[in-house]
Amino acid sequence: MIKIYTTTHCPFCKLAKEFLTSHGFTFEEINVEENEAGFEEMVQKSGQYGVPVIDINGEIVIGFDIKRLKEILKIE
Amino acid sequence: MQKEIKQTAVIGASAAGISAAIYLKRAKVDFILISKDLGGEMLTSGIVENYPGFIKTNGFELSKKFEEHLKYYQIDIEIDKEVIEVQKIENLFHIKTQEEIYFSKSIIISTGSKPKKLNVPGEEKLRNKGVSYCTVCDGPLFKNKIVAVIGGGNSANEAGIILSEIAQKVYVITKNERMKGDKIIIDQLLTKKNVELIYLGLTQEILGENKVEGLVYLDLKENKLKTLKVDGIFIHIGMQPNTYFIPKEWNILNEYKEIKVNKLMETEIEGVFAAGDVTDVPFKQIGIAVGQGITAALNNIRYLNRIQ
Repeated sequence: MIKIYTTTHCPFCKLAKEFLTSHGFTFEEINVEENEAGFEEMVQKSGQYGVPVIDINGEIVIGFDIKRLKEILKIE
Repeated sequence: MQKEIKQTAVIGASAAGISAAIYLKRAKVDFILISKDLGGEMLTSGIVENYPGFIKTNGFELSKKFEEHLKYYQIDIEIDKEVIEVQKIENLFHIKTQEEIYFSKSIIISTGSKPKKLNVPGEEKLRNKGVSYCTVCDGPLFKNKIVAVIGGGNSANEAGIILSEIAQKVYVITKNERMKGDKIIIDQLLTKKNVELIYLGLTQEILGENKVEGLVYLDLKENKLKTLKVDGIFIHIGMQPNTYFIPKEWNILNEYKEIKVNKLMETEIEGVFAAGDVTDVPFKQIGIAVGQGITAALNNIRYLNRIQ
């Protein structure tokens, strides 16, 4: 299961979502700008006060890190 | 497998590189476009209101428009490829990324720039833990908090305005005597009641263990260290050009590590052109980068015709 923590206008969040969609992955988006509990959850999981944060089955990716996403999702 | 030799390699795909690519494609030049990403720092530009034809857009939307334009001309990008080294060996450019090596007869460097760091204690440790270089991204996480913007130009002004709508209190700290940049934006910032401008303030340290708790700045007027309690710090002190892969012996960088170009976007090295924010152009603007990219491409075509 993939969870992506975002804010409304964050360009890297949009790119990360596009990347996941274009590779056929579905995800749950949590806009931490609107969702306070989601924000707390993100901070607890990652220690980050920056977005995007992506949780792929417990593996945390900080930022739009294509290399790490490809590695975890086994994308060639 | 030995890669084919391209006529040109465009390195970097934002305003300058994409404009160059469009012109090269229309001229049927056999080229390659290599880039770490598409859009570069333009992506993080908040509102863009000075690019002709778009009364109000933003960096992300504009970069999507540029991407559409690339697709229309069926221009492929070697994306997610960060160039780490360039060499010129017997009139052939060797362009190395982590994964591959490309060859070309000429290059157009349009790698743009990235945010400058303050280089003060606490900055690295607290990055993304209250320290941010992207106000559009992380600003909303500081609802009703106290934040500081460091910087004195357009980006800092814009960050101050964005944050004034979100945070309870915004300090804008600049080492200068006044804010610089577009007057229209400065005037807007000055009307914000929850924004306090601190002039002649030099940030010395960012405080906090697991997240930002404050900062220390030197008040240059009183020559005194002062501490502010803040939850977030947004750093907008200018940009540094992405020129780390350029060989020192080329000697084409100025004191700010920008690429020195003439009005035809040529450098001192034959076959090396540069365009956009990576160059020593005094005004870093999307429109200017586009114009420089086009100039570089047109002159590159002329160069290729000459050497063939």
